[in-house]
Amino acid sequence: MSRSPWWQRLAPLLGLFLLCLVLSLASPHFLTVDNLLNVLRQSAINAILALGQLVVIITAGIDLSIGSVVGLTIVVLTLLMRHGVPVLLAAAVALALGTAIGLINGLLLTRLRLPHPFISTLGTLNVARGAALLLAGGVPISGLPPGFREVVAGSLLGVPMPVVIAALAYLVLHVFLSRTVYGRDLYAIGGNREAARLCGIPVDRRLNLAYALSGASAGLAAIVLAARMNSGFPLAGTGAELDAIAAVIIGGASFFGGVGTVGGTLIGALIIGFLRNGLNLLDVSAFWQMIVIGVVIVVAVWIDVLRQRVGRTA
Amino acid sequence: MGWALAALAAGLACGGAGPRENAGASGAPPPAIEIALVTKAMDSEFWLVMADGAKAAAAARPGVKLSIVAPDREINIDQQVTILEDQTRKGVKALVVSPAGSAQILSALEQATQRGVPVILVDTDAPFDKKVTYIGTNNRRGGQLAAKGLAEAIGSAHAEVALISGVPGNESQDERAMGFIDAVASEYPNLKLVAQQPGNSERALGLTVMENMLTAHPGLKGVFATNDQMALGAMEALEARGLRGKIKIIGFDATKEAVQATVEGRLAGSVAQNPFLMGQRGVEAALAALDGKPVEKRIDTGTELVTAANAAKYLK
Repeated sequence: MSRSPWWQRLAPLLGLFLLCLVLSLASPHFLTVDNLLNVLRQSAINAILALGQLVVIITAGIDLSIGSVVGLTIVVLTLLMRHGVPVLLAAAVALALGTAIGLINGLLLTRLRLPHPFISTLGTLNVARGAALLLAGGVPISGLPPGFREVVAGSLLGVPMPVVIAALAYLVLHVFLSRTVYGRDLYAIGGNREAARLCGIPVDRRLNLAYALSGASAGLAAIVLAARMNSGFPLAGTGAELDAIAAVIIGGASFFGGVGTVGGTLIGALIIGFLRNGLNLLDVSAFWQMIVIGVVIVVAVWIDVLRQRVGRTA
Repeated sequence: MGWALAALAAGLACGGAGPRENAGASGAPPPAIEIALVTKAMDSEFWLVMADGAKAAAAARPGVKLSIVAPDREINIDQQVTILEDQTRKGVKALVVSPAGSAQILSALEQATQRGVPVILVDTDAPFDKKVTYIGTNNRRGGQLAAKGLAEAIGSAHAEVALISGVPGNESQDERAMGFIDAVASEYPNLKLVAQQPGNSERALGLTVMENMLTAHPGLKGVFATNDQMALGAMEALEARGLRGKIKIIGFDATKEAVQATVEGRLAGSVAQNPFLMGQRGVEAALAALDGKPVEKRIDTGTELVTAANAAKYLK
């Protein structure tokens, strides 16, 4: 777990609160139950993707392929459903496919010894997107079973289902990272891979697991996205990896590895979601939004750098 | 340090840094009628002209506040869904939308109508029963017009022609292609369509596709590309082989660049749409719907074939 002082770990949370405070002053439409649920629903997909990204970033890695994996799994999922495969089975296949591509990412790293996950996942990014476009013939796939959207994009006791799904995923991953030996191993590998190896941690197997989890998160996100869009779109998720990485970094995880929490990542995803929503409510153009998010990422990483420096001198 | 982050974000958010694209009344009394125009993107002349049309209609009616918002790229369909949801929550009175994905944005449109916000579709239609109207080009007719333009440019001799189409499944692009194919088959017996390939509306792909077609069909005399980007790409391919003017090209959209090329004799012409009218009629239809007045279910904004003869007015 992160061993930074409490005030540093609270930085993202304070940022989120301040952001919400300012946005609620700036727009009368911001602080309503309806809009807050709206933001949570909009943030759910990025939040799920960020979970997978968090796991690999903890190991000092990165997964650039998840946006494309969303594209491929959403195409496979919707093709299966359109051909009459039961929804649950199709969803299971989507999850398995995402996990399998993630595992391939891991194996490229641990078996083929590609020098950096940037390269291996850049490769799968292109392969998965190409496969998605080929399978779909370049066109969106619609005509999904009517119940699918109602259930997965509907709501449970007033809470949007995407939010419920994301919340469950966060709970499971929080337990996994903080209460299991696997989670502790991942932090150890990210902190110092050689030391972890010398301690007898099966580094390669743990790395494979981390990338498989990242792929699984992309599969889960694809299921939610398919329901939200009520179709499978081969270009779905284009660039989604960047928002996911941004959420993890804004949430206080370190690119140097070994540092990062599920809670921080959730806050990072919410900061991006609230920022986008607030800027939309204020009719700020999409081009300005890109600039704002870019600046926030740079500032967040700068904070990370300062944190490293403080950590070394303390 | 989170303070710095939030302060910065918030400063940009509410410091007026964002250019809010408003037209109409922005004086002291709060505007009575807020309307949003949500386009697919804001990265080309087409959308900017549509925005101008919407602004003109908003300015003509006192008390209308117009917001113009769009995703950063046309393929960011989920971003358009988010924008539509947020605009609905912001309390706009009507939405004028050009769907980036006809199927994908249906639930967001549904949310709007459930809250009593009328939805007007412009440029691209969507299978949404509750829309007030669809305002746009009759693309099939546009394709027919392209066939006419190509036939006139080639003359009465027998000639092989080719078609470079858009992303398969994109409704407006497909309609243009079908209108062209039908017209060539039924009205111009001297023309023979020998090749058809998608260029995905991209300039670079238009160039590559044209090169391949030239290799496969050296006797080609004319080409219709379903948008100007592909037409301009095809033009580059022809000129690289010294075939300028020998093979006639008709594009679609009449962008400034294509019209200029038409004047220079490098393109035979381009089919003009009327995005200004789409934006203008879109806002007018929104206001009519809010006033409870009837609106036609389908409004055609017209097409015109631009050739060297009438290009001048499109270069203004």
